[in-house]
Amino acid sequence: MAAQTFLLAPPAALFAAPSSSARPFHSLRLVAGPGGAAAARALVLADATKKAVAVLKGTSEVEGVVTLTQEDDGPTTVNVRVTGLTPGLHGFHLHEFGDTTNGCISTGPHFNPNNMTHGAPEDEVRHAGDLGNIVANAEGVAEATIVDNQIPLSGTNSVVGRAFVVHELEDDLGKGGHELSLSTGNAGGRLACGVVGLTPL
Amino acid sequence: MVGFLRAFAAASAVPAAAAAACALSSFSSSSSSGPSTSKLRFPLPASFLSASASSTSGRAPNAVPPMAAASAAATADLAAPDKESALPELTTEFMVDMKCEGCVTAVKNKLQTLEGIKNIEVDLPNQVVRVLGSLPMKTMLDALQQTGRDARLIGQGNPNDFLVSAAVAEFKGPVVFGVVRLAQVNMELARVEATFSGLSPGKHGWSINEFGDLTRGAESTGKVYNPPDYEADMALGDLGTLEAGDNGEAHFSGSKEKLRVVDLIGRSVALYATEDRSDPGIAAAVIARSAGVGENYKKLCTCDGVTIWESS
Repeated sequence: MAAQTFLLAPPAALFAAPSSSARPFHSLRLVAGPGGAAAARALVLADATKKAVAVLKGTSEVEGVVTLTQEDDGPTTVNVRVTGLTPGLHGFHLHEFGDTTNGCISTGPHFNPNNMTHGAPEDEVRHAGDLGNIVANAEGVAEATIVDNQIPLSGTNSVVGRAFVVHELEDDLGKGGHELSLSTGNAGGRLACGVVGLTPL
Repeated sequence: MVGFLRAFAAASAVPAAAAAACALSSFSSSSSSGPSTSKLRFPLPASFLSASASSTSGRAPNAVPPMAAASAAATADLAAPDKESALPELTTEFMVDMKCEGCVTAVKNKLQTLEGIKNIEVDLPNQVVRVLGSLPMKTMLDALQQTGRDARLIGQGNPNDFLVSAAVAEFKGPVVFGVVRLAQVNMELARVEATFSGLSPGKHGWSINEFGDLTRGAESTGKVYNPPDYEADMALGDLGTLEAGDNGEAHFSGSKEKLRVVDLIGRSVALYATEDRSDPGIAAAVIARSAGVGENYKKLCTCDGVTIWESS
């Protein structure tokens, strides 16, 4: 609560106007100012944990909620719950854009800031957005917790504002030998997608 | 009044201090202009002013149903819009279904009939049309589609200028559908363009809210976004009111001072049932990264006439 109280206050004079458009959202909270020990603790708290959420929707009955949490500069924990799937494996990726104006197709390719080929989440060579597969049970519900180092919630490679996409087919993790294996994992159509948005801490 | 929404002010960037005067003059010119001002230009500047300057509220656009222009859009696009209603200049990229040099000529000729176009580049192999101009995106898109070709916006912004230059928020229904596009014009100014359908007729408040959490719809998007270094009467994220016509549609084209697209990524645009936003909100959409100019040449497949991105 302390963190929120501090952030809601109007400390205009304490904050230097950000001079660069490249400044990530969270950097606004880093600027230290007078305000006593409580405020200082609040600042640390506010910066230590970052949270985001995506609500997935598509043209079919597939839908889901994905929450993301990152402590400091540590890995990001992704909690996934998607319903309405066919039982089995489904490719689950972060795509470059959050633009869904032409359906899930306009989210662009897998988020790939380091210009790699497609791979498995544990591979050295992979897109940052390659999160592998999620597995739907007999009821069509897929629940997963993914911990990953390449999808931070702040900075240049922040995934906030990009989109999660659940695919029709299994992601072959770049090893299927299909012509699409090294770009998309040959995971087929896009069933549902959702933009990663900021949430209250 | 710093940071005041400067709808339809002159094309080039104007110092913030001049914004109010500029907006007022553009208001009077847009209200006195003829039927050639399309639906995009008409309803919103006035409603913004009515929200922030009560002396002008008597001139709010109730007299003319805003949506009357919707059916007349095809002809309105060809007419010369008045200069004052121009938006700040911006490069917009469209992917257009073009198969030959003849198509290129047809597309160029069509766009050249629009006032406010500074430059047109056509890249036939990539099927990309790049337009530098000061007119609303929808006017250009309508014109391109009038040539009988499939056209979609694929990028917006100023090339190589900003790390994040364009954003989009899409309202996916089931009741309210719409698209809001934000594009950085310069450090002090961003363009805002919006189209909605499925609204109840009348006035609706809308705003940029601090969170992009849609787990409980608009209700979980928090307060109106207002950065700590922004000082004004209205919160920076306050977008005023939209007026929906009898058909439930509302359109907006304008620009807003001090809005930085990069700071809005992951937040949301929320729509309210009431003008004063006293209700929990009827719909919201996350502000997402969209492609800037030249970022989207990855595609493409023109199977069944629909151009899509290559990767999935």
